[in-house]
Amino acid sequence: METLNHKEVINLLLQIAAMLIMARVFAEIARQLKQPAVVGEILAGIILGPTILGTLFPEFHTYLFAANPETTNIALDGFVQISVVLLLFIAGLEVELQIVWSQGKNALQIAVASMVLPIIAGFVVAYAFPEFLGVNINDRIVASTFFGLAISITALAVVARVLMDLNLFKTQTGLLIIAGAMIVDVLGWIVFSVILSLSESSSGGLGVWPTIGLTLLFTLVMLTVGKGLINKTLPWVNKKLAWPGGLLSLSLALCFLAASFTEFIGIHAIFGAFIIGVALGDSDHLTEKAKEILHQFINNIFAPIFFVSIGLKVNFIESFDLGVTGVVVVVGLLTKYYGAYIGGRFAGVGRKQSIITGFGLSTRGSMDIILGLIALEYGLVSDSLFIGLVILALVSSIASGPLMKWAGNLKI
Amino acid sequence: MYTKIALAIAFSPRIEALIAEVKRLVLLFDTELLLIHVGTKTPQLEEKLDQLLQRHGCDKLRIKVLWLEGKPVKMILKACEEEKVDLLVAGALKQEGLFKYYMGTVGRKIIRKAPCSVLTLIEPKVETSEFSRIVINGTQLEFTPQVIEQGLEFSKIVKADLVSILNEIKLYGLQMGTAGEDSEDEISQTRRRLVQNEIEYVEKIIDKLDKGNLKINIKVTGGKWAVELARFCEKTDANLLVVGDDRRLNFFDRLFPHDLEELLSTLPCNLLIVKK
Repeated sequence: METLNHKEVINLLLQIAAMLIMARVFAEIARQLKQPAVVGEILAGIILGPTILGTLFPEFHTYLFAANPETTNIALDGFVQISVVLLLFIAGLEVELQIVWSQGKNALQIAVASMVLPIIAGFVVAYAFPEFLGVNINDRIVASTFFGLAISITALAVVARVLMDLNLFKTQTGLLIIAGAMIVDVLGWIVFSVILSLSESSSGGLGVWPTIGLTLLFTLVMLTVGKGLINKTLPWVNKKLAWPGGLLSLSLALCFLAASFTEFIGIHAIFGAFIIGVALGDSDHLTEKAKEILHQFINNIFAPIFFVSIGLKVNFIESFDLGVTGVVVVVGLLTKYYGAYIGGRFAGVGRKQSIITGFGLSTRGSMDIILGLIALEYGLVSDSLFIGLVILALVSSIASGPLMKWAGNLKI
Repeated sequence: MYTKIALAIAFSPRIEALIAEVKRLVLLFDTELLLIHVGTKTPQLEEKLDQLLQRHGCDKLRIKVLWLEGKPVKMILKACEEEKVDLLVAGALKQEGLFKYYMGTVGRKIIRKAPCSVLTLIEPKVETSEFSRIVINGTQLEFTPQVIEQGLEFSKIVKADLVSILNEIKLYGLQMGTAGEDSEDEISQTRRRLVQNEIEYVEKIIDKLDKGNLKINIKVTGGKWAVELARFCEKTDANLLVVGDDRRLNFFDRLFPHDLEELLSTLPCNLLIVKK
């Protein structure tokens, strides 16, 4: 097995240290300003990447991030890939099917409406103006759908935090938003894997229909038989193995196994990680304490690495396009809000509650960025469009709290 | 609290124990008794039932016996509705196999679909069951205030020694996970606040109720309420669990089980399901 040499090891360690330190500094600043940590982490990446550091101190930036592109950067990419897989795993763990069932049809209607409107609007805009927006004209349908899907996602972890800060988490509206976000996550990743299998840029795999069939089968099997097996095994793991060491290592191993399986069948590794997260998180025997540990371990180490890495990939000034960003932000915010609002009204939810739900489900800042990044890596969207998606995530995660608070005070 | 209690009888080996149990409840709650049998009425069965009722001194009670023909679940539920039964007593096996779980036994179907409250006895005894340690689900749900009210009323009538109201912090892992962005003090504060919120919720409900001489404990846990309730009942050796149910369950609920279905799949002790 080839190994990194002395200098490359130092380079890799410095890269990770710089990313974690910057992420922490800016997450703390964000915290002081009552903003989600993800906002600070993305800004940290923009500062550390070609946008700021690369422009102001190009030699230092090259020393840190471009000295060993064939070795250190590949190793760093491995870390980032693992971070994405783990982020999806934790996103899956957050999904509690029981909460979804308890909110019933209302949550389903709201979630579906909040996805359908942005997907359709995003598709139409991207399909009509592919060159302006920067979607791949050779893979126009897939790229346009991908764009629509990317603006239709809700960031569950971010919205959960906003709801807690507003003391809305346990209210009927709060639970409706949480359940809606969970449904959006599940539907979003299923749609994602199906679209990806249709993409001409997608490599390997088993073909479109077998992939779609396997995606649905994998989901169903994991949520029934898989969950049953996890339920049978976890008590033994909790009782006989070191705690939480045994549980942590085995659940991560399970996550990587599922991720490699879905990558093998041509979906994407992250889909497997997400679904196994749902199955594990829904198990009766995964204690809330274990969930808390997994959350903290992944959210504080791997999530910052991923969110900082975004800023390293793109120059946010050079590739910034005001028109594209404006369209992405306006279309993204309006369609997601109105989708959820209309869904709420159709489900018989009150006007005020529907407005809060609309703002709540418009919160982004995690899975949508991952989707955008995958689209960027597959060549489906341009740097400018990707930047537009990141800015949409930043704007929506910053604005959702104040907007929900404002809506809560409405006298209607 | 109740005006009419019903018992579905199948002339199984447990019939005598069930009759003894239901007689005690009828006396405790001072109610009428409705016995429902779905099947052909024969002189032998009539005589057997008469003997049983006489042996347990039930013949002096206000009893009505319904002999019905048709599909057991449908007929029992229909009778409960028509006769305005407010508590249906049923016997159920503690655990059922995978096939029976998905397809549903008569007993489970009745529990799932009953229009009135259902008391499920896992081990009915001729010398009757004790309800000394009662656990009530206090998880924050729309229906919970009524469940706590009825649970306490039931506990007073059966003279329970200890009533525990168990509350679950919803999505504790997610809440504490997102609180992980804060400082150590803030995290501890969040944790305390989550626990305190649950205690205050229950206290607010029980403050308005007549608790008699009941000894009431409020317990807070994190996790899924059904699983936590089952664990708590087993740990404390409870003999009755009181939960609420405001909707009818179907096959889909069993495929992706939740809350009440989880409890029904492994009954930890006798179960009183309070219906709207």
